[in-house]
Amino acid sequence: MLIRKLFRTAWSYKAQFISMIIMITLGMGIFLGFNMEWYTIEYDTSKFFSDTNYADYRLYSTDGFTSDDLDKIQSIDGVKASTRYISVNLDIKDSENKSLALDVSENYTVSTFIVTDGEKYDENSDGFWLSDKFAAANHISVGDNLTLEFQGTEISGKIAGLIKSGEHMICVADNNQLMPDYNTFGYAYISPEKFKSVIREKAEKTYAETMKKLGVPEIIIEEKMKNLQYDEMLDKAYVQINLISDMEKETLEDAVKEKLGRTIMVTSKNEHLVYKEAMGEADEGKTMGSVLPVLFLAIAVLTMVTTMHRIAAKEKLQIGTLKALGFKNRRILRHYTSYGLFIGIVGTALGTVLGFIVCGAIMSEDGMMGTYFDMPDWTSVIPVFCYPVMAGTIVFLTLISFLSVHQQLKGTAADTLRPYTPKKMKKTLFERTKIWDKLHFGTKWNIRDLSRHKSRSAMTLFGIVGCMVLMVGGLGMRDTMAGFLELLDKDISNYSVKVNLVDNADTIKAKSLADELKGDWESLSGISLDGETVSLDIIHNPNALMNVIDENNARIALSDEGVYLCLRLKEKAQIGENISFSPYGSSKTYTVKVIGYNRSMMTESVTMSDTLADKLGIDYHITSVYTDKNIGDIPSLNIISGKQNQKQLMDTFNSFVSIMDSMVFILVIAAVILGIVVLYNLGIMSYVERSRELATLKVLGFRNKNIGRLLISQNIWLTVIGVIIGLPSGVGVLEWLLAALAGEYELKLMLGPMTYCVSVLLTFGVSLLVGMMVARKNRKIDMVEALKMSE
Amino acid sequence: MAIVKFDNVTKTYTTGEHEQKALDNVSFTLDEGKFVVILGPSGAGKSTLLNLLGGLDSPSAGTITVNGKDISKLTDNELADYRAETVGFVFQFYNLIPTLTVYENVELVSEISKNSLDAKKMIEEVGLSDHLHNFPSELSGGEQQRVSIARALAKNPQILLCDEPTGALDSETGVMILKLLLGMAKSYGKTIVIVTHNQSIAKMADIIIRVKNGKIRSVEEQDKPMSADEVEW
Repeated sequence: MLIRKLFRTAWSYKAQFISMIIMITLGMGIFLGFNMEWYTIEYDTSKFFSDTNYADYRLYSTDGFTSDDLDKIQSIDGVKASTRYISVNLDIKDSENKSLALDVSENYTVSTFIVTDGEKYDENSDGFWLSDKFAAANHISVGDNLTLEFQGTEISGKIAGLIKSGEHMICVADNNQLMPDYNTFGYAYISPEKFKSVIREKAEKTYAETMKKLGVPEIIIEEKMKNLQYDEMLDKAYVQINLISDMEKETLEDAVKEKLGRTIMVTSKNEHLVYKEAMGEADEGKTMGSVLPVLFLAIAVLTMVTTMHRIAAKEKLQIGTLKALGFKNRRILRHYTSYGLFIGIVGTALGTVLGFIVCGAIMSEDGMMGTYFDMPDWTSVIPVFCYPVMAGTIVFLTLISFLSVHQQLKGTAADTLRPYTPKKMKKTLFERTKIWDKLHFGTKWNIRDLSRHKSRSAMTLFGIVGCMVLMVGGLGMRDTMAGFLELLDKDISNYSVKVNLVDNADTIKAKSLADELKGDWESLSGISLDGETVSLDIIHNPNALMNVIDENNARIALSDEGVYLCLRLKEKAQIGENISFSPYGSSKTYTVKVIGYNRSMMTESVTMSDTLADKLGIDYHITSVYTDKNIGDIPSLNIISGKQNQKQLMDTFNSFVSIMDSMVFILVIAAVILGIVVLYNLGIMSYVERSRELATLKVLGFRNKNIGRLLISQNIWLTVIGVIIGLPSGVGVLEWLLAALAGEYELKLMLGPMTYCVSVLLTFGVSLLVGMMVARKNRKIDMVEALKMSE
Repeated sequence: MAIVKFDNVTKTYTTGEHEQKALDNVSFTLDEGKFVVILGPSGAGKSTLLNLLGGLDSPSAGTITVNGKDISKLTDNELADYRAETVGFVFQFYNLIPTLTVYENVELVSEISKNSLDAKKMIEEVGLSDHLHNFPSELSGGEQQRVSIARALAKNPQILLCDEPTGALDSETGVMILKLLLGMAKSYGKTIVIVTHNQSIAKMADIIIRVKNGKIRSVEEQDKPMSADEVEW
């Protein structure tokens, strides 16, 4: 019988029940969704990394590694697997601006791939294994021909299979590209045998050309070529060893140095773009997941406290009747406690479904991350810590019901049967002032109502502040990101084309190319600064095509007196102090003075002018040339590995911003729904509690419009206070978020006027809408019914 | 002169499939300045009658004319204006606004009534000058009802409608309230209509309308109504 009563009571309080379920669903859904997102990234990527033997460490040597070197590395205690490796960006022949990263994993034990279509990997094959996403974007199928331009020669073959590789899970040409663009850039693997033949062909070609220039007859050249040794060239080409090991980086560095007798640049997976970005995304999600969704859940649960308490108070007579009929307290408690349990279970179950939807919208092949990560499995996973939160929420909601009813059960049946008596009114200090007397009746009425129902008012305020924080946080994040990209587009990058050079490109040739293109150039290399791997950025930018900017986004004319630290390395040294660093692959240590700080968008870097680098005697290779020439005007040289349009680069950033937009959209929509539900629920509660007063006003002759204005003005007052608190709180939360994300990007808080306007207007809009919804109910108030009962 | 005219008024309430006639073809007239008591047992339809007259509800059939104007056809806003200007209510359970003080509760009507009287003066007349700044919860039942009378009269209405005004009070306080109500109604020249099941109150009326089962049983005029002190309570 009592179960029937449960459903009927739920029906009679349907607005409250539905809104409580919606709030718990929303709170739980957003909480789970956002936390599942980062956990799913960790879970799915690590499975993919493990399936494709993703390297824990990468060893780099500009002189390359011999087979002997590999054997020595493999013999290090703690190295589980290792391979000589190369990954080089090459243009596709006869294509408009399309290029591939071509990879070779010599013994195919590390940095392998999964075949999604076509032939299995064969170490003797003559074909290519091409990224399936690149193939799809460019309508390439298994069996098609592919030709790549490789330092003056060509690499041709059929597509043997389509693949996915952990090594290229985020398929970008270099650090400056934020988002993959499979139309223009992909990756492919070839077998070591094919690579060997490519090197042989290149060696023969170079030899023949040299001999011809010297006037050696062709017959002799052909004879000599039969015995041509190209092993050294092959060794030089394998500039990388990838290995799997659980060793500490420093221990491995020492072991490598001891085995090979020279310092080798060792980078851990934490420094590899793919792993770093994937974990960065997870960390970013973790940070987001730890603030905004928690706030959501907290608002939902706290509103539930107020609502449940009010329902219990309204049910006082029923509770008294059950008690008078002879029901034991325990049974009544169990009955009413089941309300919270019911809401908790239904809300949590629906919230879990919503969580999967939210997570799926972000982390799925068709979701926002689908354009960023390229991996085979997208399984949404609930983090373990969420289960106790889910259980805890149900228990907490049940407890709220229990305590609310327990309070009503105190005393005898007769006590309980007495109607709920509101607290006695007392005048506050403000009410004793003269200003108070001058206030309009409606203002007095609303102020007293707010102070009389403190918890309800506080909850409403909390809802508005929460709504505001979510909007400012979400929209502000977008502004900041957009500002960051604008900075990159307008203040830093003035070039039209970035020309990427091959590893170890000849410096004289590179400089003459830069002169020919009237361009600036940059040399990026790894250095060790206080044991950390950071970038050394040597810049020559007299044409201001690629700028270095200071904290205030103003261009720095690079001085030759010292180096600039990026803001994230600020704590390493004060201006005027010296820092010491050593380039990887070199035993030298350089000590230089810090003369300023600069804003480096992506990499943690030490920046210096080329003049200073020359003065210090640093051995560097130019990695990129920046020019404002058209892409077609750039000559094809063997030192060039690829060309990228600045616009194309910015387009990839824009797709990154569109991911951000979707997340912000989810947050803002959720904030609006939350705002509406919280305010409507509390508004209805306030309306029901004041229905007698409202009916009295109506009887006295107040028009519906006047009473509606009273109800709406209370909401507006609370919204004004909520916005005043919510705006700085939102900025604070955003600042905290940015500080937490600083490891990945150097973001400066930017809030556009639109964000302020949209947040404030939407919050007021929500408040006004809800006020009007509640005020509409007033039209239907039954004066006779409302005034019948005694207070 | 007739100020109120009920002409074949019927009020039917529908709950689900069940229809109940609270008033069935009721007709009567009331003259200005009279003290009218509507008498009847619980469920007789007397409160319905008062609510219709007060513009809280509309009849299902028939017309109600007040001051020559048919109030059964008024819009929501016109009804609100009618309640603000023409009628004043005194309820059994006072219906004061708990968050406003005594003074604010009475002064409230100046927001809507064009001819409202001075709130302080009205409070003084009901003898609550010392409680101007008290909240209703700080007053006794009788005091609260006095505030309610002050509020009803402060609007300066033509007709004062009272629904069991002494129903929640002990008899001594009840008599005092009735005396006050009648005294003030007389001095301000108001028509007063009291709904009650208390036969004793009827003895004080100029006109007694007896209601039973939604019909008017009798309309009786008393030549010599008793004063509150003469009535045996």
